[in-house]
Amino acid sequence: MIVSAFLRGLFRRGGRTALALAGIAVSAALLLDMTMLASGLTGSFGQLLGVSGYGLRVTPRGSLPFDSEAGIAAGDDVGRRIAAVPGVRAVAPVLGAQFYLARGDSAGEPLFTSGVDPRSQFLYRIVDGREPGPGEVAVSEPLARAERLRVGDTIRLAAELDVSLGRARQTRAYRVSGVADFLYDYADQRSIAMPIAEVQRATGRPGEVSLFGVAAAEGVDGDSLADRITAAVPEVSTYSTRELMAEMDRRLLYFQQLATILGSIALVVTALLVSTIITIGVRERFGEIATLRAMGVARGRVLLAVVVEGLVLAGIGCLVGLPLGLWMAGRLDRILLGFPGIPAKMTFFAWEPGRVLLAMGIVIAVGALAGLLPGWNATHTPLGRALREEAE
Amino acid sequence: MLWVATALQAGVPGAAPLPELLVERRLAESVPLAVGDTVRVRALADTAAPRPFVVAGVFEREADPNRIARNDYEVRFHLPDLEALLPTRDRVDRFAVVLAPGADADSAARWIESVAFGTRAYGSAALAERTSATFAVVSRFHDAIGIVTILASAIFLLCVMVIRVDERRRDMGVLRLIGVSRSTVFRAIVLEAIAIAVVGSAAGAGLGIVVARIVNAHYARVYDTTLRFALVTPRIVLLAALLGLALGAVAGALAAWRVVRVAPQKLGER
Repeated sequence: MIVSAFLRGLFRRGGRTALALAGIAVSAALLLDMTMLASGLTGSFGQLLGVSGYGLRVTPRGSLPFDSEAGIAAGDDVGRRIAAVPGVRAVAPVLGAQFYLARGDSAGEPLFTSGVDPRSQFLYRIVDGREPGPGEVAVSEPLARAERLRVGDTIRLAAELDVSLGRARQTRAYRVSGVADFLYDYADQRSIAMPIAEVQRATGRPGEVSLFGVAAAEGVDGDSLADRITAAVPEVSTYSTRELMAEMDRRLLYFQQLATILGSIALVVTALLVSTIITIGVRERFGEIATLRAMGVARGRVLLAVVVEGLVLAGIGCLVGLPLGLWMAGRLDRILLGFPGIPAKMTFFAWEPGRVLLAMGIVIAVGALAGLLPGWNATHTPLGRALREEAE
Repeated sequence: MLWVATALQAGVPGAAPLPELLVERRLAESVPLAVGDTVRVRALADTAAPRPFVVAGVFEREADPNRIARNDYEVRFHLPDLEALLPTRDRVDRFAVVLAPGADADSAARWIESVAFGTRAYGSAALAERTSATFAVVSRFHDAIGIVTILASAIFLLCVMVIRVDERRRDMGVLRLIGVSRSTVFRAIVLEAIAIAVVGSAAGAGLGIVVARIVNAHYARVYDTTLRFALVTPRIVLLAALLGLALGAVAGALAAWRVVRVAPQKLGER
C-alpha cells in the first residue's frame, strides 16, 4: 500500500516526472547505442566472414586480405597444398584486379574485378542468371542498375589504359552471365567477377592469387586449422575468423573506447537524474514519511517504497529509451556506413539481446540505487527532528 | 608493403657500400635498430633472397590521421632501391608536382589529366578533401552524438529548474501576494537558471580541458603518436558557453512560466 501510494505521488507530479522520464529515456537510448556499437562492427564482420562457410583467409605472408598488392605466386600449387591439409573442406582462390568498362574508344570508371573459381567462391551470390564461365562475367547489382545490364548482354572490358593513346588498351567483349549480390562491397560499389584464369591472363599475372578462402570441415576448429595450413604452406599467412575479428577490433579501438566513455556518461546522467528526482520527492514528503514512521510503519517498508520509485522511473525510462535507442542506432549506422570501404552488409550497431538486456538492467539498477541514499536519509533522520522540520 | 627481416649482420670491410634506408622511430625501437645497423629486406611474398641495407637514419613519421587505424611501420628507400625490390619496374604510385608561381592548380590538373590518360590530378585542397572522407564521417558521428548530449543536458537542466521552482512555490506565492510582479518573479527565475547554466558551463569547460588531456595522453600511448584526438579550442568553449546560456534561459523561462501563470493564492497548495 505504501509503495503504491509513493508511486501515485510520482505520477501526481506529472510534469516533472515526464521530464525525468524523457531524460532517462535519452540516456538509456545513448547507453543502448553505445552497447550495440562496442561490439557491433566486429560481430557483424565475423558474421559476414562466415556467412558463406569460408571462415579462413590465406594471404601472402605478412599481409591481411587486400591490404597490399602482393600476390601468392604459383596459386594452383599453393591451392592444392592447402586443400591437402587435414580438416580443409574447400579452397576458393581470388585474384583482385581493376578493369575498365570500355565505351567505344574511351574507358569509364574502374570496376573492382574478382577472379574466382565459380565452382568454389565466397564473394557473391547470384540473384539472376548463373555463375560466369569462360568469356563471361557476373556483375554487381549497382553496376547492373547503373549500366542497365541484363543477363545475356555484352560488355567490353579493358584491364589496362593506354596513357599515350588516351584510351582503353586491348578491350575484350564479355557476356553477362548473371547479376550477383556481392557480400563485401560497399554501398553502390560497381564490381564484376569472372573466372580467375581470365583475370590472370588479362592482367599478365599468370598463376597469381591474391588470397584463398578456406572452408573447414565440420567440427574442425578454425584456429588450429589455420596453424596447420601455415605450417604446411610457409609462404602464406592464414587467418581464422577470430584472428580477423581481433584485427578489426584493433583497428576500431577508437570506436570501442568512445562507446565505453559515452556509455559511462549516459549512466552517470541517469543516476543524477533519478537521484535528483527522488531526493527532491523525498524531501517534499519528509513530513509524510515521518508521520508514517510515527504511526509504526517499519523503516524497511518506507525505504522499499522509495527504492521502488527509482526502479519504476528507470524502468519506464528504459521502456521509452529502447525504441528511441533503436531509432538512433539506425540513424548513426547510416552515418558510419559512409566510411570508405566498409561493406554495406555490415552494421556498426548489432542487436545482441544479452548485451541489450544487460545495459537496460544496469540503468534500472542505477535507478534503484539512486533512490537508496535519499530513502536511507529519510528513514534514518530522528523522528522528532523530521516532524519539527516539516512543521517549520 | 615491405617485410623487414630482423636478422642483423655486421658490414663486411672493403665490400661495396650497401644501399641505405631510413627507418621509422617506432620500428627502430621495436626491433631494435640503430644507425649503422644492417637489415635484410624483401618484398612481401617475394621468393628472391632478401637484400641488405644499412640504416642511415631514424625518422619520426608525420602525424597523419589517415594512417592511425592501421598504424603500420614505415621504412624509406631511394626510389631505384625500392624498385629493385619490387616485381614491377618503372612504376610510381603518385607524383607530387610543384607549380610555377602564378600557375592555376585546377587548369594544370586538367592539362595533366588530358595528356596522361587514366591519371587523376588534384590540387592540395581537393586532395585533402578526398582523403578526409573518413574524418568527415567521424565528424558527422560526433555531431550526432553531440546533439543527443545537448538534448539530454537540456532535459536535465529543465528538470532541475522545474524541481527548484516547484520546491519554492509557496515562497513565490508569498512574493506575489506582497506585490512582487509576475515579470519580476519570471526574470528572477530565468536569471537563476542562467546563473546555474553559466556555472555548469564553466565547470564543464574545465572538465572538458582535463578530459581532453587525459584522452590525448591515452591515445598517444595507445598509438604512439603525436596526434591530438580531442581539442578544446576557444571557439568550442565559446560555443558551449553560448549553448549553455541559451539552454539555461529556455529552461528558466519554461520553469518560470509554470509558476507565474498560476494565481498566487494557489501556489501554496500542495
